[in-house]
Amino acid sequence: MKTESPSRSIRVEAAGLSHAGNVRATNEDHFAIMTIQKSVRLGATNLQDTAILDRMGGPEVHIFVVADGVGGTAGGKLASGVAVRSVVEYLAEAVGCVQDFDLDREQTFIDTLSTAVWRGHKRLKEMFPGQGGAATTLTMVTLVWPRAYIVHAGDSRGYFLRNGVLKQFTQDQTMGDDLVDRGLVTEQQARRAGWYNVLSSEVGGVLLPNVGVIDLAAGDTLLLCTDGLAKYVPEDRIAALLAAGSAEEAARSLIDAALKAGGYDNVTAVVARAS
Amino acid sequence: MIQKKVCMVGVYGTGKTSLVQRYVHSIFSEKYHSTVGVKIDRKLVQLGNEAVNLLLWDIEGRSSEQDIPASYLRGAHAVFFVADGTRRETYEQLFDLCRHTRSVTGDVPSIVALNKADLQDQWVLAAADTKKLLAGGFRALNTSAKTGEGVEDAFLWLAQTTLEASLVPDSQPKVRHED
Repeated sequence: MKTESPSRSIRVEAAGLSHAGNVRATNEDHFAIMTIQKSVRLGATNLQDTAILDRMGGPEVHIFVVADGVGGTAGGKLASGVAVRSVVEYLAEAVGCVQDFDLDREQTFIDTLSTAVWRGHKRLKEMFPGQGGAATTLTMVTLVWPRAYIVHAGDSRGYFLRNGVLKQFTQDQTMGDDLVDRGLVTEQQARRAGWYNVLSSEVGGVLLPNVGVIDLAAGDTLLLCTDGLAKYVPEDRIAALLAAGSAEEAARSLIDAALKAGGYDNVTAVVARAS
Repeated sequence: MIQKKVCMVGVYGTGKTSLVQRYVHSIFSEKYHSTVGVKIDRKLVQLGNEAVNLLLWDIEGRSSEQDIPASYLRGAHAVFFVADGTRRETYEQLFDLCRHTRSVTGDVPSIVALNKADLQDQWVLAAADTKKLLAGGFRALNTSAKTGEGVEDAFLWLAQTTLEASLVPDSQPKVRHED
């Protein structure tokens, strides 16, 4: 999937790919790339100054989501699909229909993004009541240039590449990370016990989403990915692949790299480049 | 409900994230995680009859490569400065950080936390350093995100002062804008 859209003088080019991997029969990952824009567009005018009309078009809102259904539950594939669909549906209504969308009311906007994730969570809880229901990671970036708003739960990841340096802006929410952070176990003990494979926050389970903001610059590249990529491809390799070619080519090479590394898990990459 | 944006500002590694984690979630992480961009947490505090929602913008620390981005500071109602009492340079940079921050936020209520007070054997700040802050008009106190010392007090004082500042009628006379 590939989209391109001009956003004032910044062009945001985005692409996403997902693969079941070499081992698993089904792909429990889902992703979505969406652009919302006010519908006011200037057809023709003899006005000298059209700046005011340009502003009426409002900002473009780019939404990128990846979700990785939790295996071993009632329906990992269903969970990630329901969560992504629910989030984009809610945002399409809440953001797309707001004609006076205005970054001055930033906190309201951030609350709307969080609500979208909680809506997905609620829907999953309704579909799978009780313990052990369907759950999923979810990492969402909403880009209103140059600001990227992040809502994140689980161990999918968000990175951005700037001047060749890759930075992870999400923090994995696993039991392993929690226990090591609190000094209760060592990384080695957590790994051996498999705690890094147990999520401490997930949509549909116990949800404690992280919310954040990053201001991007022209030339930055965003990557959202599931752990099928981040666990098997080293970060220096990810940085090199992310830097090369178009967003679509980068997404393809990242998926290929994960498959070459064994493809032990489903793998999804969403790449967005601002130029 | 009243909402107040509070920016956490300081050099990298001073414990801004740990202070927020202690205050909001009552936890302390032994492992250092460098903040990228801004992490946003919220805490509802009851101040007398007013419920105030503090929006805590935990901003990535100043490093040799990057100053605090002004865009993150805009719209702040209060600033929570943090220095590490075991690293003198983080204290010395406070004054410049304050100038930079106030050039964006204006003269909003602020506090200085001299953090990592649990590490007394490595503490490098003297009473004169605290006096210098007080003389500069800062409220300053020692904090420890690890033990919780001073954390609740610092955030509550800032919340209270911010609320009071917002209730004071604007004393500046309105002036007519002349083109």
